[in-house]
Amino acid sequence: MNCEEFDHLLDPYLDRELDPGQIIRLEQHLSDCPVCRSLVQECLDFRSFFRSNAPVYTAPPRLRTSVLATVRRERLKSELAFLRRPWIYAAAVLFLGLAALTILIPDNAKELSGQAVARYTQSLAADHLVDIASSDQQVLGPWFAAKLNFTPPLANLQATGYSLLGGRADVIQNRPAAALVYQHRNSIVTLFCWPPNHGLLANGNHFIKGCDVYTWGNAACNYIVVSKLDKHETDAFVDSLRARGESGSY
Amino acid sequence: MRQNQLFFEELLLPHLDGAYNLARWLVGTDQDAQTVVREAYIQAWAEFGKFRGTDARSWLLTIVRNTAGTWIRAHSNHSRTIQFPEARDVVLSDKPSLEPSPEERKRELHQALSRLPFEFREILALREIEGWSYGLLASALNLPTDAVVSRLSEARLRLRQEMTEVQRRGLRE
Repeated sequence: MNCEEFDHLLDPYLDRELDPGQIIRLEQHLSDCPVCRSLVQECLDFRSFFRSNAPVYTAPPRLRTSVLATVRRERLKSELAFLRRPWIYAAAVLFLGLAALTILIPDNAKELSGQAVARYTQSLAADHLVDIASSDQQVLGPWFAAKLNFTPPLANLQATGYSLLGGRADVIQNRPAAALVYQHRNSIVTLFCWPPNHGLLANGNHFIKGCDVYTWGNAACNYIVVSKLDKHETDAFVDSLRARGESGSY
Repeated sequence: MRQNQLFFEELLLPHLDGAYNLARWLVGTDQDAQTVVREAYIQAWAEFGKFRGTDARSWLLTIVRNTAGTWIRAHSNHSRTIQFPEARDVVLSDKPSLEPSPEERKRELHQALSRLPFEFREILALREIEGWSYGLLASALNLPTDAVVSRLSEARLRLRQEMTEVQRRGLRE
């Protein structure tokens, strides 16, 4: 190695970036060449001077605070970035719509249930259970048709163990409804029904003022059963009516 | 995301001094350096998901270096040479001797550094202060290793020349 080659490798040598083979050749030259040895010494001196005198700055304390605040603000921005996307509003409207469907319809059923309970209680208090006392479909059918302009599916509304005392023309939510009054032991069970022209009633079960109330609807009618029987008895009554309604014809 | 932020703070805030130091070397004033550092941390936060390495410091400093470069280009009327604070008032002793005092030599160094172009200050800071290897310099500065070696040699040579120049002027005044 000559001095010129050495000169090229001097920086990488002092930076410890040479491979061992190069180092051996370079140090061989160094031991033979006093000029290059003094050059190395001079470079080392300058580097050590540089390292102890070059400016090294420390961040002002307030920078730490402001960097933290900046990064946290950025995080918040990215967390809220989704609010700038239009589809999020469409999704929100859809969500609220679905929520309204699931909340409002049961509420409607609950409100109607409340009215049915009021009518049921009134009929007991006034001791006026039926307008027409009959269990005969042939009698009740024409009577309801004349009073209410519709006939409940009476064939499907018989229940074993329950005697049908008769019918009453009633009103639920300002609309005419047929009330069929049953007796089981000493307890009165009333079935309200009306055509589902204004929407099908949701399936539901509420307990209002000591009464068990069941609501459901099918193509023929919306139904509300109000009963003060034990819950399992009312359950069985409702199940038998619903089973007939689904299988029977009218 | 909060978890991510704690990790971010734990990993990158300890290098705030290093980030600030590099920014000062590159853009000069305290105010500008703070702006660059804040900008760099925002950038780092935005890209944090992509950070896969183990060397958070060099990852952050690379971002600081890029941010400082962008900042300087955006403020193109800003001189690409800067003032190191101690270099502002070079007061030589009344009786100039052939051997300048350590304090004078320090001032000369700072003044010489302030006269260097951006690229030279940058590579000197990363190599001499941060101790980066040639490989790391090559990948961070997006240069082939040969170019790193020659830029570093050039920067050191230029620094020595500037120091001589500063000394010569000081003696003449």
